[in-house]
Amino acid sequence: MSDLLMKQIKFVLAFGIAVAWVSSNTVSAQVLNSFVERAKAQGGPLASVQAEAVTDADATEEETEEPQDDNGDLARRIDLLAEELERLRSGEDGRELSDDDAQARGLAPSAAAVYRANRGLSIAGYGEFLYENYAKTKQNGSAGKGDTFDALRAIVYTGYRFSDKFILNTEIEIEHAKEANLEFAYVDYAATENFGVRGGLVLVPMGLVNEFHEPTVFMGTERPFTENKIIPSTWRENGAGIYGAWDKVSFRLYAVNGFDGAKFSSEGLRGGRQKGSKAKAENFAYTGRLDITPTPGVFFGGSFYSGGSAQGSLGSGKDLGTTIVDFHGQAQVRGFDVRGLWANANIDDAVAFNVKNNLTGSKGLAEKMEGGYVMFGYNLLSQTSDIGGPAFTPYVKFERVDTQAKMPVGYSRSLSTLNNWRTIGFEFKPMPNVVVKVDYMKNTNDANSGLDQFNVALGYGF
Amino acid sequence: MPDYLFVRGAKRWLFVIALCFLAGNIVHAQFGLVSREEALASAFPGAAVTSERIFLTDAQVDQIEELSRADVDSKLYARYIARRNGEVIGRAYVDTHQVRTKKESLVVSLHADGRVRRIDVTVFLEPPDYIAGPSWMAQFYGRPLDRDLAIQRVIRPIAGATITANTVTLAVRRVMALDQVLRIGAGEITP
Repeated sequence: MSDLLMKQIKFVLAFGIAVAWVSSNTVSAQVLNSFVERAKAQGGPLASVQAEAVTDADATEEETEEPQDDNGDLARRIDLLAEELERLRSGEDGRELSDDDAQARGLAPSAAAVYRANRGLSIAGYGEFLYENYAKTKQNGSAGKGDTFDALRAIVYTGYRFSDKFILNTEIEIEHAKEANLEFAYVDYAATENFGVRGGLVLVPMGLVNEFHEPTVFMGTERPFTENKIIPSTWRENGAGIYGAWDKVSFRLYAVNGFDGAKFSSEGLRGGRQKGSKAKAENFAYTGRLDITPTPGVFFGGSFYSGGSAQGSLGSGKDLGTTIVDFHGQAQVRGFDVRGLWANANIDDAVAFNVKNNLTGSKGLAEKMEGGYVMFGYNLLSQTSDIGGPAFTPYVKFERVDTQAKMPVGYSRSLSTLNNWRTIGFEFKPMPNVVVKVDYMKNTNDANSGLDQFNVALGYGF
Repeated sequence: MPDYLFVRGAKRWLFVIALCFLAGNIVHAQFGLVSREEALASAFPGAAVTSERIFLTDAQVDQIEELSRADVDSKLYARYIARRNGEVIGRAYVDTHQVRTKKESLVVSLHADGRVRRIDVTVFLEPPDYIAGPSWMAQFYGRPLDRDLAIQRVIRPIAGATITANTVTLAVRRVMALDQVLRIGAGEITP
């Protein structure tokens, strides 16, 4: 094949791509020309690169439509078109039109929007379905409870990039197929690539699951109980703060409205979440986390929460101060997956709370709660399956949660609030976005009221 | 622990915040997005770099997909060739792909023998929380294109950003395969 024929084929191909691009974006040919002219004016995108540049500054649309005898000129035009298309496809902001540029070109905002490749809506989501088959009897032989099959969560995530600096993130959840919740909705101001300010309904940055609660991310059919009773995921409150991420260190630090402690119980802190709905804001809290990633696939860190939870319900000087601390870590290496977390909650004014709510004996709110878990998994197909292929990961989890680790003077512990769970199961991912999990959870406590269960879950994320 | 510990320590926290902000600006150039020019300058300091556009044929696309196990969505690629004293010291390609619903563009720079030299992110339109950092990218450096170049093998995942990790891995594999196919076509190496 001659060089001339090859060049002609390249020209036709480049022209075809240009026409397709223009058509798909409903942009006039004049707009394309404005890009070409702009590129010429800039003298090419890489000043330090010895790229061929457009030398014919007087080239016009009419000229490009005429057959060219000069093969060198034809090649330059093809190269220019290809470069423009490749740059546009890359999303690099060198071709983004400012409002002034758009106005100068007589483009209405909607017409100019096509150039704002860095802006606009993004959509994602996840969901999970959970079948829970409970044992017929508890540890002590008393009756268990009925099995359930729940459309546990279906979530749509939407984000909108107003500009390079201002970004909106929202997550809207339908729980149990009927309850709509706003999981989070916040606006980020990205001051630099590494540091930003965030405000809105934010996820409290604690533990391993609360911020990364997609079923394709956490192991097990159910979230760990420690991250249900002590770090009550999905835990979100109204607030604002700062965040930062560097290569090996990341942090978040927020001020949020405090818990509504009136709904605390001997079973944990979960009832105190206000979830952003007309939240009482007599007491605020600070929360934050610091994570270190010493090597890819391995990270560890800690998080805290501290603030009042009374919201005025216990009278002057009694704020039901609540402080939670956790330490966590995770390692994913060569198909192995190890995760662990320990959390501790301290509650001030527990006596005042118990007196106000007429809670006596072992029904009272504790001064201290603690829990933790460690889990191990190994993807049996990690070293053999095709790239992006299926994963099959058996796992075990050991967990212990005590929601009455220390009771106030005059109150006693319930034998049923210190629970152990031993879980064995597997997860199968036919592709990274879809997971089927099956596990068996053995539950024991000193009251012999532990109830075993067999679970099957289907999850997805996109 | 006493309540409002952090209110009483407000000055200390303000100091910590100021330090974080300062640190963020200091390491700004080392993490996050860079321009294509910066990426090339970092990968090939002092070298003369020429650019060209690659138009792939159907047969080349098939070869690349076979080698990389990754889909090839575009037949148009930007290639940069770096020379020092007239000798080719490496090549770089721009790979644009979709992470979740938004784009990411990488400049994947290769040594002359096709191994990964450096990876830079020029565009990342998903939330910044999910971007892969330089330490994670460094796992690819010096690696050949083989079956072990995959997540959960020599490449470790990113906690909470699985899709980014998978997407970048496929992009790097695609670029390495593209380079290999072009060099085979040019007679520089044998299949």
